[in-house]
Amino acid sequence: MADHNSFHFLGKKTIRKDGLAKVLGAEKYASDLSIPGMLYARVLKSPFPRARVKSIDVSKSEGMGAVVITFIEMPRIRFCPRLVSTPEATYKDWRVLSGNPLYVGEPIAAVASESEEDAQRALEAIEVDFEVLEPYMNALDSLKGGEGLLHENVVFNEKEIQVENNIACRLEITEGDVQKGFSESDVVIEREFRTNRRYHNQLENKSVLVSPEVDGGVSLWSTSQTIHNTRLLLHEIFGIPVSKIRVHKAALGGSFGSSIQTNTIVPIAVALALKARRPIKLSYTREEDMRDHSSYQMIFRMKLGAKKDGKLQAGELNMIMDIGAHQVQAYPLLGCVVGWWVSLYKLPNLRYVGKAVYTNKVPSCALRGYGNPQTTWATESMMDELAEALGMDPLDLRLKNYIGKGDLFWGQGPTVKSIINSCGVEEILRRGAELIGWENRPKPFAQRGRFRRGIGLGRGYHTSSAGSPIPGTVIDYTGAILKVNEDGTLDYITAMMDQGGGTLDAHAKIISEEIGVPVDNVNVVVADTQTTVYDVNTHASRGVYAGGGVALMVARQVKAKILEFAGRALEAYPHALKIRPDEELGQAVIYAEGLTSKQITLGELASMARVKNWGTIAAVESLRPGSCPPHFTGYFIEVEVDTETGKVKPLKVVAGADIGTVINPDLAAGQIHGGFAMGWSMAILEDTPYSESGDLLNQGMMTDYKTPTTLDLPKLDDFKVFFVETYEPSGPFGAKGIGEGALNPVAGAVANAIYNALGIRFYVLPMTPNMILKALKDRERIK
Amino acid sequence: MKVELTINRRKGIFEVEPNELLINLLREKIRLTGTKYGCGIGMCGACTVLLDGEPVLACLTLAVDADGGEVETIEGVAREGKLDDLQEAFLEEGAVQCGYCTPGFIMTAKALLNENPSPSEDEIRGYLKGNYCRCTGYVNIIKAVQRAAEKRKRIGKQEI
Repeated sequence: MADHNSFHFLGKKTIRKDGLAKVLGAEKYASDLSIPGMLYARVLKSPFPRARVKSIDVSKSEGMGAVVITFIEMPRIRFCPRLVSTPEATYKDWRVLSGNPLYVGEPIAAVASESEEDAQRALEAIEVDFEVLEPYMNALDSLKGGEGLLHENVVFNEKEIQVENNIACRLEITEGDVQKGFSESDVVIEREFRTNRRYHNQLENKSVLVSPEVDGGVSLWSTSQTIHNTRLLLHEIFGIPVSKIRVHKAALGGSFGSSIQTNTIVPIAVALALKARRPIKLSYTREEDMRDHSSYQMIFRMKLGAKKDGKLQAGELNMIMDIGAHQVQAYPLLGCVVGWWVSLYKLPNLRYVGKAVYTNKVPSCALRGYGNPQTTWATESMMDELAEALGMDPLDLRLKNYIGKGDLFWGQGPTVKSIINSCGVEEILRRGAELIGWENRPKPFAQRGRFRRGIGLGRGYHTSSAGSPIPGTVIDYTGAILKVNEDGTLDYITAMMDQGGGTLDAHAKIISEEIGVPVDNVNVVVADTQTTVYDVNTHASRGVYAGGGVALMVARQVKAKILEFAGRALEAYPHALKIRPDEELGQAVIYAEGLTSKQITLGELASMARVKNWGTIAAVESLRPGSCPPHFTGYFIEVEVDTETGKVKPLKVVAGADIGTVINPDLAAGQIHGGFAMGWSMAILEDTPYSESGDLLNQGMMTDYKTPTTLDLPKLDDFKVFFVETYEPSGPFGAKGIGEGALNPVAGAVANAIYNALGIRFYVLPMTPNMILKALKDRERIK
Repeated sequence: MKVELTINRRKGIFEVEPNELLINLLREKIRLTGTKYGCGIGMCGACTVLLDGEPVLACLTLAVDADGGEVETIEGVAREGKLDDLQEAFLEEGAVQCGYCTPGFIMTAKALLNENPSPSEDEIRGYLKGNYCRCTGYVNIIKAVQRAAEKRKRIGKQEI
C-alpha cells in the first residue's frame, strides 16, 4: 500500500482544468456551437401516445423552402441507441423516425430551414392524418395485452423475435433453496414498493450540430457520454464508413445517464444533413427534452427472511419495470437490479424474477445509479422493517449482513462477478452514527405535536466500472494516449467525457503523480473519434477507476521513456534517475540525486530528442478492468415533518464514503453534495405523472417538475461529508468511483427517517405532502 | 426594429424583431453563448444577465425592452484579463461541475453582492433560489459566494 501522505498531487485541491472557460462563459456546449451556412432543424413529434400515421403531406413545407424528411424515407433498420452490451444482450426496437409512434413526443418527421422560426413554420405546415390507437399508460395493463402488442417483434441478437404480452424482456435467477430458507427463518416479511418515474432535468437540453463532409462522411458535436458509440451507431444506421464519421467531444451540461445512448435527435440531424448537404443544428427545447428520456419506474415485491440473531436466510424479489415505448438498456438492467439487490446483503438462498414491460410513455434510460437507487430504497426500507420485527438496532442488522471484503460481488449483474478487495462499510456506519447521534434518535410513535423529527440510515454502493475477470455481456474497456511536447508539457488524449465530476482532472493528477510533472503541465485535449482510442462510455462510475487506470498505464510508459532519453542526455543510468516537479521552473526536472550537473528539464529533454532525432516520447494503451470494485456510501439523515402541511425538511445530513484513495477532495465531496440533493429530490419531490390523454401532466414545463432549490436543502453546517481511508488494490493509486454511490442510499435513508419521525412507512415514491397528510389522517381514523 | 444597447461596456445598434428575446439576440446574433438557455419560462435562471445592474432573465425579456440599457453578461464580468472575485471563488471552492448553470449563478451573485456586500447564508440562499443547479446541491456555490464576499471585505473593495 502506498503511503497516502507521500502523494504529491493526489488528495490535494487543485483548480479544475475546464473551470476557467466555465466561469468566463467561454466553455462550448453542443448547444453553443454554430457553423457558417448551417440550417436550423425542428422535429415533428407525435401528439398521441399511440397512433399510426395514415398519411403525411409535406408539400406545403417543402414549398416554403424547407428540407423535409419523414419516416417513409428513413433507412428500414431497427437499432438500439446504446451500444454497451454485446449483441446477445441487445434488443433493437428503435427507428430514426416512426410511422407508428408509441409515445407523445416520438419523432415522425423533421425539417430544416434558414432560421429556427422558419423551421417551426415549415413544421406546422406538414399535414398528418393519424389513426389514434388505445394506449397503455400502466405496465400492469400492458401485461394483460387487451389492446394488442406495442411491438409485434423486435430484433434480438440480429434476429427477429416475437414479443409476448408486451414483455420487452425477462430474467429469472435462483440460487440455493428459497423455500427452505424462508421456512428456517424466524421472521419473514414481504412488502410491495413502487418508485416514481423521474426526469433527469440536466440543465442542458439535448443538442447536436452536424456537418456533411465532401467525402460523404459527417462531422458532429452532440450531448454525449460516448463519442465512439455514437460513431458506431451512425455507421450501423446510415452505412457511412466508420472512419468517415467524426464525432467531436463537446462539454456536457449535465447528463446523469441520459446520453449513455445516442440521443434521438442525433440520427435525425444526420439524416437532414445528408439530404440538405448543409450543416444542421438541432436543439431540443425543455418541453421536448422532458418528452425524450426518463428513469425506469419499478414495482418491487420483496420478501426477506432472517433468523432471530438477524442473519438473513433468504430473499425473493419480483420486479416489474415500466420501460416506456422502447428499449434503451432494459435487458442488462434486469441483470443489474438483481445484482444491486444481492450485493448489498448476503442472501444464502435467493430467487428473482424481473420483467421489463412496454408502455406508451417516454422511453426510460439510466438515471444516475441505473436502478440502484430504486433497488436500494426498497431494500433499505425492508432492512429497517426487519430490524424492528427482530427487535434489533437497524445498524447492527446491517453490520451483520453486509457484503464486504473477501465476498463475491455482482453489482453489475450475473455476468459481471468479482471479489471485493477494499471495504470501509463498518467505519462509515460507526463514524456516521456517532456524528449524527444515532443512539439518541427519537423512538417511532413517541412524538406528539406539529413538528416531528426523525433520523434514518441508508447504506449502499455502486460499482466502479463494469469490469470483470471474464468477458460477460457488458463491454467495458477504455484507452488513452499521452505524449510529451517540446515545452515539457504533456498532451493527454482520451475519449472519456467529464460530466462535471472532475474525472479528467483526476486523470491529469494520476499522470502527474506517476511521472512527477506539475498538474498544470498535463493538457487535457478536446479530441474526437479520429484522434482517440476507443472508450465505451463515461458511465457506471468508471471515470476515475477505469479511465484513471489507463491514464496510469500510459504515464508509466512515458516515464520509462523519459528516463531512457534522460539517461542518454545526462550520460547516466536511467534506473538511477529521478523526476521531480519543479515549482520554480514550472516543469518536471530529471536528475541524478546529489549530482547538480546532472539534471535536465523535461522541455529541454524533449527538444533535445527532436534535434537528435530520438523521436517523440509517447504512449498509447487500452485497459479492460478485471473487476468493478464497489465504492461504499452511507447516509444518516435527520428530517423534520410538519404534520399540518405534510412537508418534510432535511435538518441534518451526515454522509460517509469509501472511494479508496481520494484524488480530488473538493470535487469528490461535490459528488456527495449533488448526490444527496438528487436523492432527496427522488424521495420527496420528483415524478412525471401522465394525463388522461397520455401526455406528461406537466406538459414538459419545468414549473411542474420540481427539483430542489437553495432553500430546500440543509445549511452548510448541517451537512457533513467524510471519507474513510481504504486502498483499492486494482485501482489507480488505490482509487475507486463515487458518482452513483453518492446518490444510491439517499431515498432509503429519507424513508427510514420519516418512519422514525411518524411511525408510518411509505411504499411509494415520491413521499409527497399529500401522501403524508393522508397517511396521518388514516391513522387518526383507525385510532 | 433598431435597438441601442450597451453590451459588456460596448455600445451597438441591433436590428431585432419586435418579439425577439434578449437571450436570442445575445446567443444567436452576437454569439455571446455564455448566457444559457435552460427552460425558456423563467424557472432555472441559467439565462440571468444584468440589465442596468439588475438581474433579469434573458429568456423572458424582449430585446426591445432593453433598448437604451446596459447589459452585462458573463463574458463581461472579467475585466482586463482579470477574473472577478466571484469567478475566482467559484473555482477555488469547487463550485463548478458541469458548469452550465455557472454563468447564471455568477450574474445573480454579482447582483447580490452589489446590493448586500456581506450577506448571511440565509440571504445568499434566498437571493439564489431562482437559479437551478442539478450537480452541486448548491453547497460549494454558497461557499463560493461567501468567499467572494469575505475577500472583498478583506481588501476593502466596493461594488464594481
